[in-house]
Parts: sequence; C-alpha cells; structure tokens
Amino acid sequence: MVSIFELLKEYIETGRIKLDKSIHKELTTVHDPCNYGRKGMKAFGEAFFEEPRWITQQCCENYVEMHPNRMNNFCCGAGGGAWAMPYEAERIYYGRVKAKQLMDTKAKMVIAPCHNCRDQIMKSLTKEFDLGIETKYLWELVADSLIIDPWTEEEIKKGNELREAQNEKNEVDLDQEW
Amino acid sequence: MEPLTINRKESRLRVAPEWADVCFTCGTCAGGCPITGIDGMDPRKAVRMAALGLDQELIDSRFPWICTLCGRCEYACPQGVEILKMLRRARGLRERDKVPGPIHKGVVMDLERGNNLGIPKDDFLFLLADLSKEMDEDDGLPGFYAPVDKKGANILVTVNSKEPFGEPDDMKFWWKIFYAAREDWTVPSEQWEGVNWGLFSGDDESMKTLVGRIVEHLERLECKTLLLPE
Repeated sequence: MVSIFELLKEYIETGRIKLDKSIHKELTTVHDPCNYGRKGMKAFGEAFFEEPRWITQQCCENYVEMHPNRMNNFCCGAGGGAWAMPYEAERIYYGRVKAKQLMDTKAKMVIAPCHNCRDQIMKSLTKEFDLGIETKYLWELVADSLIIDPWTEEEIKKGNELREAQNEKNEVDLDQEW
Repeated sequence: MEPLTINRKESRLRVAPEWADVCFTCGTCAGGCPITGIDGMDPRKAVRMAALGLDQELIDSRFPWICTLCGRCEYACPQGVEILKMLRRARGLRERDKVPGPIHKGVVMDLERGNNLGIPKDDFLFLLADLSKEMDEDDGLPGFYAPVDKKGANILVTVNSKEPFGEPDDMKFWWKIFYAAREDWTVPSEQWEGVNWGLFSGDDESMKTLVGRIVEHLERLECKTLLLPE
C-alpha cells in the first residue's frame, strides 16, 4: 500500500513525471490534514509532514508555512465527517482558527492533501472569512504543473484499442441518448 | 438517586475510575480545542463526565459529533489520556438511527450497493468511458483510457464517490498524472468506494467489512499496490 505522498514523490524523484515551476508563481502554503499527520502518527507511528511540503515546492517557488503546523496543526474544522453533518454553524466557527492561520500567511494558494479539508477551505472558509485564496488538492497542483512527454504513435494506438475493447466488453455505448 | 458503579466492565465508554486521578484537569486539551465553549463543553469536561460515570449523558450529547476527532487534545495531554479514542467510542455507542447526518446511511448504502452514494455500476462505467473519451479527444491526452478491473495492473485505485457523483472532472487530476507517468493502473467496476465512513460513525464492524472488500480486489486482480487517494 502506498500513500499519495509516496507515489507522487517517487514519480518526481525517478523522473517519471516532470514539473514546471513557472506555472504557479503565487505565494503558497500547505495544510496538514489530521489524518495524515497526528492520527497517522498515533495509529501507525508514521506521519506525512515533509512529503507534501517537498512535493508542493517542486511545483511552486514561493512557499510559506502556517503556524502552528505539523503535530500541532489546527484541523480545518470539517474532520471526523463534520463536512457531512448537520452542524454547519459549529463547523464554520471551528474553522475560524484555520481561516486566521491562512490569513496570517498572506498566501494566495493553499494546498490540501485531503478531500475533506479541501472542501471545507475552498467551499466554506474562503467565502465565510473572505480569504481571497485559491485551494487545490496536492495532486491537482501536480497535474496542473505537468510537462507531459507526448505518447508515441504506437502507445496512442494501443491505448485506443484497449479503450474500445473495454467499452465493448462493458457494453458501454457512448452515442446512446439519455 | 442510585449509586453508580464505575469500572472497566460497567462503564460503556470503558473508562476506568483511575482516569479521575490520571487526568490533572489542567485544561491543556480544552485550551487548544477550537470548539471549547460550544454547549458549555470542552474535552476536559468530556473526560470528567466519563470519569464520573456520566457515560450515557456524553453519548447522547452533541459534543462527540461537533468534535472533528482531530486528536490535538490527545496529542497535547501531558498525562496520555486517550480523549480521541473515548470520543470516537462515544460515537459508536450512539443508536445507529440517531447518528447525525448521512454518515451512517452512507455506511449502509456502501454495504448494500458498493459506494456511499449508491451510484449504479452502469452509470459508473459509462461515466469513466465518457470522461476517457474527453481526455483523449479534448484534453490533449491521446490514447488515454481508465482501465477497469484490469488484472495484473501495478496499482489499484479506489474512488471517492463524491467525484463521480458531483465533481467528475476532478478524477482527471490523477488520470493526467498516471498518463504522464505511463502508470499501469486500474479501478474496480464495483465496490470501488475509498471513503470509509465507519471511521467517523465509530462502526468498526462495517469498517472491517469495507476494508476487506478492497483486499479482495487486490487479490482478485493480482495488483501489487493499493493507492487510496482519500
């Protein structure tokens, strides 16, 4: 089993993917999700703190830390399923601490390595606290920074054949009217 | 008033009476918790309730659910009181039909239909094929497709059901990376959910079943590696 951090790091280190740092020039910070940090440390004796920072800095020149961070980081406010729960006012109140941390960095972009944290920061805190900040998943940042080595004619042909064979096998008809 | 017996066997939260001594009531936990004060509660008071045998009152309160189980209190506690573990256990002891919001319903849906939002297999396969065509034709990634149930693939990938349900284009971020890395990957056609809401509803039994399914996929498809992009 690999985490998203280990896989992305391996792709970058081994040169399987190449990244363009000139795309994201804005000041960028990284949010530490509780599950990959404190809780990972408690449950598995392993936390992912340095990896997301390193990966982000392979895509962005201008980086700034939030404080406190790592083991003492504040939750986005939507953890533990709170994003889905009917306690919206409490969730936003909780998130005021994260919002303040974000504002203090003066960053224009925040990288969230977790679905839940990204939704809370992007869809709730940015609006509620007028943060004026862009939120991206860590893998979204990497995808947006890719320099793709074009596939050969042969690779393309093989991909197309496999795609058609799969559609036929799964009886998927893309021309079907809905 | 009936006297209460508090010990590991009697206490539903399995909090031993010695917690009453272990916890210094210093308030470090409460001081660093963003929801201290809501409903007049904080982590220190929750520990006190458990130590005093007010298990049911804590289980019935909103506190374990407004808490995001972030674990900052437990990490900071100088005495090693397992506050997070206790609060998650309080969630698990709530009657299932009284679990707030869609979390328990999602678990039931996942057990019955293979994902938290009940997306049917045909719709899922159509969506993957449709997005694959877009990647190939419109997004400048010729030859791309999302391999389903591909035996022997290097990496098995699970899916967060919110993406096929409401934000399908967000699946393309990973797909683009796989395309660039020329990764040999696959996604299961059924029971592909990567979000295990049993973690949040305190339901270890269901959690185990759902994790077991992913292990079965790995064995059935002979995949070496699991990527859980959740």
